[in-house]
Formats: sequence, structure tokens, C-alpha cells
Amino acid sequence: MAMKLQVVGVGKDYLIPVIERVSFSVEAGEFVCLLGPNGCGKTTLLRIIGGLEPATRGTVLLDDRPVVAGDAHSRKVGVVFQEDRLLPWMTLAENVALVLKPLGLPAAERRAIARRHLGLAGLAGFEDYYPGRTSGGMRQRAAIARALAIEPDVLLMDEPFGALDAQNRRIMQNEVRRIWKETRRTILFVTHSIEEAVAIGTTLIMMSARPSRLRETIRNDGRIERAKLIDDLNTMIMEEVERQQGGAPS
Amino acid sequence: MSERDLATRLHLPTLGVTAVIVAGWSLLSWRYGAYVLPSPLSVVRGVGEILLVGFGGAVVIALLTGLASFLSPRARSVVHDFLAVLNATSVFVWIVISIIWFGLSNWAPIFTTFMITLPVVASNIVEGVENVDRRLLEMGDVYRLSGREKFRAIVIPSTLPYLVAGMKVGFGLALKVSVVAEIFGVTSGIGYIMNYSREILATQMVFVWALVMILVMMVTDKLVFDSLSRRLARWR
Ligand SMILES: Nc1ncnc2c1ncn2[C@@H]1O[C@H](COP(=O)(O)OP(=O)(O)OP(=O)(O)O)[C@@H](O)[C@H]1O
Ligand SMILES: [Mg+2]
Repeated sequence: MAMKLQVVGVGKDYLIPVIERVSFSVEAGEFVCLLGPNGCGKTTLLRIIGGLEPATRGTVLLDDRPVVAGDAHSRKVGVVFQEDRLLPWMTLAENVALVLKPLGLPAAERRAIARRHLGLAGLAGFEDYYPGRTSGGMRQRAAIARALAIEPDVLLMDEPFGALDAQNRRIMQNEVRRIWKETRRTILFVTHSIEEAVAIGTTLIMMSARPSRLRETIRNDGRIERAKLIDDLNTMIMEEVERQQGGAPS
Repeated sequence: MSERDLATRLHLPTLGVTAVIVAGWSLLSWRYGAYVLPSPLSVVRGVGEILLVGFGGAVVIALLTGLASFLSPRARSVVHDFLAVLNATSVFVWIVISIIWFGLSNWAPIFTTFMITLPVVASNIVEGVENVDRRLLEMGDVYRLSGREKFRAIVIPSTLPYLVAGMKVGFGLALKVSVVAEIFGVTSGIGYIMNYSREILATQMVFVWALVMILVMMVTDKLVFDSLSRRLARWR
């Protein structure tokens, strides 16, 4: 079941304040793309939402229940990191089946679900391959299949196609868009590519320079012309990059 | 798998040469008597016991230290300090202590072998545990794997190569150290015989035994450890 995600006044300080205060709300089943200049705290925000990192201030709510960092037992969150994070000593199918164990499913069912999701990600026939014997694009697909196999309430993706070439990137964008349409999960997708965000997201969130706030939230429902939207977002991000470089020392 | 594959995998030529040597050795032992040249079986039994108990014990304890250092960072720093001390201790110290404690019994070389191989194997395992990819463990957290599951699926597979490497070095060391330990005190074993041969000026016997040891070392290396690491690297 897709879940509603609320970020309420979330901030994070490391040695310097990274995220000042960010609030937004994502309806169940939305596909949100998170944009912002380098180092503005996109990964940090994603990790806070995923419960991998505590927030300095504010809370994250999944269907009105707060996410507590380190306490993984109250939620089903799928995360696709920039790297695939597959276990190299397990086949693709074993990798996916592994994360189904905590759900308490019998082994045969785990295998069946793993195969189904690998198939959904276009990996039919490669289930018994070790990750080292597949291409980077295939591994990233497997990581996505793994995240989807647990039927996550929210799917978090942090520049999942960063390591892919332009061609594979395009293919994977279409795949993710298709999978999203078929499964209607709530997705939060971090990217630094404006074209990518405009191509796949239903809502685009632009963060400001560090210490970051929300710069702009845009509904990408085709009412604004695509070329103009890309232009506007490019202008915004250039302004923010300049602010970050000219502003507070980092 | 083809027949040739199997033959090279099992190192048939090496095995053949070994068989010839063992046969010749048995014959000589029978001809000259066990005092000058004990039969292969009795030597293997003597060395085997030292390796099994001394080295095997070291591997077991090393595994436990690895487990402890995975479970608790505090245990890890304690383990580190102890291993540093053990690593810095000379073989001779253990030989002397073992003779004081165990006298002329077989326990003396067993103890020495244990104390010398423990830090080698344990350091390797602890290093392996420390080198487990934190990002994979984090992945385990994201998907709510239990501690046991993370240990089984992530920690053990990434530590195994370190364990095999440590055992390989440790085994070679065990073989060499046990012989040295036998020179002192004990009244049997290869070390004792070599020392005895030296005393009666049977220099050729010293060389024969040196060769035997080298051979044993190489055979186990090829047969046991190489095939073990190859099996571990199946997925590479
Ligand atoms: N564990 C940490 N300890 C200290 N500082 C950190 C830590 N993690 C991130 N930071 C700092 O927080 C800031 C934001 O990092 P983050 O990785 O979230 O940015 P980002 O928006 O994902 O950047 P990029 O576009 O390069 O991926 C950076 O200045 C970084 O140095
Ligand atoms: Mg990032």
C-alpha cells in the first residue's frame, strides 16, 4: 500500500547547518523528484526520510506515524542507492529473495516473488546470474526490483542512474516510469538532472543552496510547457549554485 | 568436467610423486628401524596431533574473537591490543614457557603452535570483520534483516576469504613452529629426529626431513587452500 509522506520542518546540522528547515507533503502514489545544487543536502534528506539518519529538528511522517531513525520495524521503505548494493556472492534472485525474509514468507514464495519482480524489471532469464557477471544497468535494475519486491510503502531513490551512460539512463527512466504506473507506489527520486526530473516526476521539488530550504514546488502535470519548465528550473538552479558559492563559506 | 580437468584439479602428478616418496620412506624406515627413521604414519600422527589441537584450537579461538569484535566495538579494541602483544612475542618465549608448564609432554609443542598461530589467524579474521562493507550492512538495515541474517548473508561471506588467507599463512607457520618446538624437550616428532640426526652427524637425514616438510607444506597448500579459495571465488 502506498503511503502519504509528510516532511515537517526537517533540518540537519553537521559541522555546518546543511538543511535549515524543509517542509512538504507527498500524496500516496505520487512520483516526486527532488532537485537542488550539489551538496545542498538531498542525500541527507533522503536518508532522514528513510530512517537511516536522525534529523536535528523536525519530523517525518509516514501516514501520520513518525519515522524514528534506527528503528526499522515500523515501516516498509525501499531504498535504491546510487550504487546497487547487491551482495556479490548471491545471484540476482537470491539477492531479491533475501530481503523478503523479514516479511515471514515461505522460501518457495520468496523465490516466486523474486522472479516476478526481476521479470518486471526486464531481467527475465538472468535470475541466476551473479551481479559480477551482469552489466551496471542490469545491476541497478536488480536493485530496483529488490526495492519493489517488498511492496514498499515508500520508494526512495538517490540518483539511481548516476553511474549509467546516457542511453541506459533513458531506458531506465522509462522503465521506472512504467513500473510506477503499474504499481502506483509513492516514489521520492533524487536527481541532479532537470531533464530527468521533468521527464518522469509528477511533482518537482527544488531545494535552495545550503543551508537549504524549499525553493519551489512545481506540479508537473503538462500544464506548463516542458521546454519552458526546463528553462525555468535551469535558471533557478544556476541562481542557487551562485548563491552557494558566493554565500556562506562551506 | 573433463577427465583432464579433474586430473589437474587434484594435482595427480604431485600426488603421484608424493606416493612414491612415502613408499620409499616406509621402506627405509622398515630397513633402518624406527629410531633412525620413524615410519611416515607415526610422524604424520605426531605432527597431525600438534596441528589438529594447536592450530585447530587457534582457528576456533580466532573465530570467536572475530565474532566478538563484530558484536562489540569495545571487544574489538581489546582484541586488537592482545593481538599486538601476541604478534610481538617471540617463538622462543613460548617454547620456554611451554617446557616450564608442560615439561616433556606433547602438550609443549601444541601450546607453542597455538600461541604462535593464534595472532596470525585472528588478525586476519578481525581485519575481515572490520572490512565488511558498511554500505551493505546499511542495505541490510533498510530491509530490516535481523542481526543473525546480516551475519549469515553479509558478514560471513565477506570474511571467509580473510579466514582462508589467515589459515593458509597460519598453517605454514604451524608446521614450521611445531618442528622448532619439538627440538626442545620432546622425545619424538620431526624436530626431535632432526636434532638427533645432527648429533649423530647424520646430516643427510636433516636434509631429507627438510625436504619432507617442504613437500607436506606444498601439497596441503595446493590441495586444501588453493581449491578452497577457488571455491570461495566462484561468484567472481
Ligand atoms: N556524515 C556527514 N558528516 C558531516 N557532514 C556531512 C555528512 N554527510 C553529509 N555531510 C555534508 O552535508 C552536505 C550535504 O550533503 P549531501 O550528500 O546530502 O548533499 P547532496 O545534495 O546529496 O549533494 P550531491 O548533489 O553532491 O549528491 C555536504 O556539505 C556534506 O559535506
Ligand atoms: Mg547526494
